[in-house]
Amino acid sequence: MEQVIWIEILSRHHDVIERHRCTGPEIRIGRGYDNDVVLDDPYVAPRHLRVFRAENGSLVAEDAGSANGLYTERGIAGREGIVLDGNSILRIGRTQLRVRESQHEVSPERISMPPTRVWPVAGILIGALLAIEVISLWLGETAEFKVSRYAIPLLTILLVALGWAAVWAVLCRIFAGRLRFARHVIIALGGLLGFSLYNELAQYGAFALSSRVISAYSDMGMWFILALVCFYHLRIISPARLRLKAGVVAVLAAVAVVMQLLSQSETRSDADPQGFVRRLEPPAMRLLPPQNEDAFFADAKRLEGRLDRARMEESLSDGPYRSSEDDD
Amino acid sequence: MHKRALSFLILAICSEATLAQSTSVSEARERAAPSRVAENVYAGARPRLLQVRTLVAVAGRQSSIGSGFLVSHDGLAITNYHVVSQYALEPRTYRLEYTAPDGFRGMLQLLAIDIANDLAVVRLDKPGRPYFPFDLRAIRGSLPKGERLYSMGNPLDLGFTIVEGIYNGLVERSYTERVHFSGALNPGMSGGPTVTAGGHVVGINVARRLGAELVSFLVPARFAVALIDRAAHVEALTPANARAEIGRQLADWQRDLYRTIDERGFRSAVLGPYDAPESVAPWFSCWARTNTDDVPRARAIINSTNCNTDTRLYIARDLSTGTISISHSYARSLDLNSFQFAAFLSKQYQPSWLGGWSRKRQTRQRCHEDFVAASKSQNRPPLRAVWCARAYREYEGIYDVSLLLVTQDRSNEALMSKLTMQGVAYDNALTLGRRFMDAIQWSK
Repeated sequence: MEQVIWIEILSRHHDVIERHRCTGPEIRIGRGYDNDVVLDDPYVAPRHLRVFRAENGSLVAEDAGSANGLYTERGIAGREGIVLDGNSILRIGRTQLRVRESQHEVSPERISMPPTRVWPVAGILIGALLAIEVISLWLGETAEFKVSRYAIPLLTILLVALGWAAVWAVLCRIFAGRLRFARHVIIALGGLLGFSLYNELAQYGAFALSSRVISAYSDMGMWFILALVCFYHLRIISPARLRLKAGVVAVLAAVAVVMQLLSQSETRSDADPQGFVRRLEPPAMRLLPPQNEDAFFADAKRLEGRLDRARMEESLSDGPYRSSEDDD
Repeated sequence: MHKRALSFLILAICSEATLAQSTSVSEARERAAPSRVAENVYAGARPRLLQVRTLVAVAGRQSSIGSGFLVSHDGLAITNYHVVSQYALEPRTYRLEYTAPDGFRGMLQLLAIDIANDLAVVRLDKPGRPYFPFDLRAIRGSLPKGERLYSMGNPLDLGFTIVEGIYNGLVERSYTERVHFSGALNPGMSGGPTVTAGGHVVGINVARRLGAELVSFLVPARFAVALIDRAAHVEALTPANARAEIGRQLADWQRDLYRTIDERGFRSAVLGPYDAPESVAPWFSCWARTNTDDVPRARAIINSTNCNTDTRLYIARDLSTGTISISHSYARSLDLNSFQFAAFLSKQYQPSWLGGWSRKRQTRQRCHEDFVAASKSQNRPPLRAVWCARAYREYEGIYDVSLLLVTQDRSNEALMSKLTMQGVAYDNALTLGRRFMDAIQWSK
């Protein structure tokens, strides 16, 4: 009985472009019309490739006498031909192809999930996000009420979320073939929600704990959230190689954090917002017990030594005796 | 924030100021009709006057000019510190020259400086010219108000000039002793002498008030006498030790100032339910502000008082120091909730440094902040306190310090108090800061 053999022409990314059903003891592939599979690739010889069954029953591919030869993923094939296993990819000329038998095993069917109700979730997220922003704006409102003061930031946030999701959806379409816009929107909204919650908490926390560190390094948390968001977007595009993706995202976030710390330390001026926590909150927000006066002034006294050291260090780098005045 | 705060124009002149000032010169000329006396005074003074010029050594062009006058047979002359400050601080970049009305010129050696009184003693390279005597009545302080005086110098590099004016005693309520001279001093006359009709020096031209007419200031002659005496006995200033000398004088000067403030003490001003300290010392000039009349109506009322000392010291063109500022703002919410009120307060919540920051002059600020509770014996609200300080890079042991306090007992009203001390020793700052904090109390 002659078995059916499928010749699959593949794209550069190994997607199947064409599939040819062939039978017979030997299949000939080339540019000439006397072949079983005719290729329109100018780099392919009129008679280029021969696929036949060896004595032990396995399929073998062999160069039929071309100038350009037969390649596998590992390099040029020898005179004796290549034993095919259904997964090995051959290249002749500029064409990639794969040979599979009818018994080739395929994975079981994927169970289709009932369509998840994505948009209601997005609605809830949008609601929560806008609510947090409105409350935050309202609590910081000290002047007359103006619609634009609320409308513009809210619209900006929504547009940013949609724009961000759209970019990811396009990437998703390119690499995975599907837009999945709704899911990207949800991730973007979730990220923004986490972002603004974290922001508010960091601000209250800085005051409540009287901790400059929280406000000075709140950007680190922001980068973490951004990295997490990117990771989830990548996971939507394809769930393969998650470790690698997590690693790449983590490295990028770490680089961003380092760059930011560097630029912070280099551009700090007298108007440095990190000098102390700039935002006051109602007295009831305080969490720490107040210090006594002696301790406060003892800490203030301790700054003297730090300033003297800073004075010495900064003098070393650009001495005060060097003139930098310019009078004209 | 306080446009009405005193603004002085120091009378040295730099190249870029010349054109901008030209209108005021012609005004000054119209009103000063020289008298016979003035003619005689100028004739006598002419060989004793100097123009003091600071030149950029490389370019050989003037970078600032002022005036000066001879005070001894061996070639000592007096001028303002601010006229020679560039040379004093950067002797390698600048050089100091003089030109007399008769074209006589040469190099100047800087012998002594007095930054508190803005004076400098210099020595001419060629001695033997006539010089000015000092007025004994002025040194004793017995000069009558209303006496005619004659001020000389080279305003705006236009040539030597004599200006008539009136002696009006010492400036009242001023920490630094200054003669109030009602005459037209102009940039470039700094360091020139103001003399009696007999040609005796009463004071040294130093500054005029901007936005006022003929309100000018002189350094009393006795400080010049003291500095000449010191220059004769102390070893001469060298380029290498000028900075150290400035640092030492700053340290001495601030020690006296803070001792005096401490001795004079504080009184309480009532602001809403709080008492806040105000210095009793008379040389604080205070101004108040309110937003009750604002349109649109403010949603929280804020009443502020701001007191500044007139103790500004000129060190360099981009560095003045020595001012102390005390400000209190009492804020009460009208219809803001407690979060909105806190946001309202946050806008005022920053130290006021009374001037910019220059990387060349000061380190970056370092701050310590915390909630501070009162001890049981104190009748005081809990506070949020921020202590920020920066060190002067060229002067060891001198700092700018700002203490910022906000009461934390109520969510709809608060007192925000700021104490800013420029050019202070750290311990003095701690002492005054602590006294300031202690004085913030609940009204009885």
